Amino acid sequence: MRTSILLVLSSAALLALAPSCNKKKAADSATGSGGSAPVVETAPVTGSAGSAAAPTPPPAAGPSDPQIAAIVVAANQVDIDAGNLAIKKTKNPEVKKFAELMVTDHTAVNKGAVELVTKLKVTPEETDASKGLTAGGVEARDKLDKLDGAAFDKAYIDNEVAYHEAVIGVLTTQLIPAAQNAELKSMLIGVKPAFDAHLEHAKTLQATLEGGAGASGGSAAGHKM
Amino acid sequence: MRILPVLALITIAACGTKKPAHQILHVDIRGMKYVPDSLAVRVGDTVEWTNDDFVPHTVTSSAFDSKSIAPHSTWSYIATTPGDFAYNCTFHLTMVGAIIVR
Repeated sequence: MRTSILLVLSSAALLALAPSCNKKKAADSATGSGGSAPVVETAPVTGSAGSAAAPTPPPAAGPSDPQIAAIVVAANQVDIDAGNLAIKKTKNPEVKKFAELMVTDHTAVNKGAVELVTKLKVTPEETDASKGLTAGGVEARDKLDKLDGAAFDKAYIDNEVAYHEAVIGVLTTQLIPAAQNAELKSMLIGVKPAFDAHLEHAKTLQATLEGGAGASGGSAAGHKM
Repeated sequence: MRILPVLALITIAACGTKKPAHQILHVDIRGMKYVPDSLAVRVGDTVEWTNDDFVPHTVTSSAFDSKSIAPHSTWSYIATTPGDFAYNCTFHLTMVGAIIVR
């Protein structure tokens, strides 16, 4: 079973955020580097390679506030949809409880994000990154939907671990530093502890499933991203 | 008519030893924590929890249960029984707090 593919799908879209969001600005400024961006790149602040000389303040690279808004909504929706699928499919009460929590929490975060963005009169702007997230989420769910029982539980929770690790990474290194509006930035910072808690919860479940459900057989191999 | 001064004295004495009014104490819920996570109160005091997070939480103990507190909402409890009450969020089990009622 290709569970490793599942892990990569949604998180790959997240990890691709930086290059795809920067693409527009790069094209605006100088000779656009054109080509397709590598998928895994969590480059921190340093940004453009440019001149290594004077300590000029780095330009606000990364997504704009409207783009951040669209990314946040898309990222939350991906996990809401995955959670709803898990609620429908799983027979494991702990997995179900986790899935319900994901639906509740990410729905609440999206509600807060939409309310804030409406108040700020920011219109979310779709980008390759937000579209990629949504598409990756659909693809991951299609794969998950084909699994059942312990194999489903394991793939879903593995995916949740990978997803939250990717979200937290992008939130910390891309979205929070790039946010211009103070309230938006504060919201992104405020949301992170919840995502950290989700990740810990998912990891605990992952360990339980791996320990207890050794019966799920061969698919325990290769959970690498 | 000597009773009147006595009554007045009793009234004054009662006023002098009057207990301070019951207080309203606040606990913030933010960053997936109760702040402060431990609070000493007196019987009759009100404890008010405000959820400043973007996700719902609960304040649940053997003596009280807020059920879901929506983001940016408040739930309050009047401490009626002395004792130590550990509480937690039933959604996020790492979140724990306590009120000590005296």
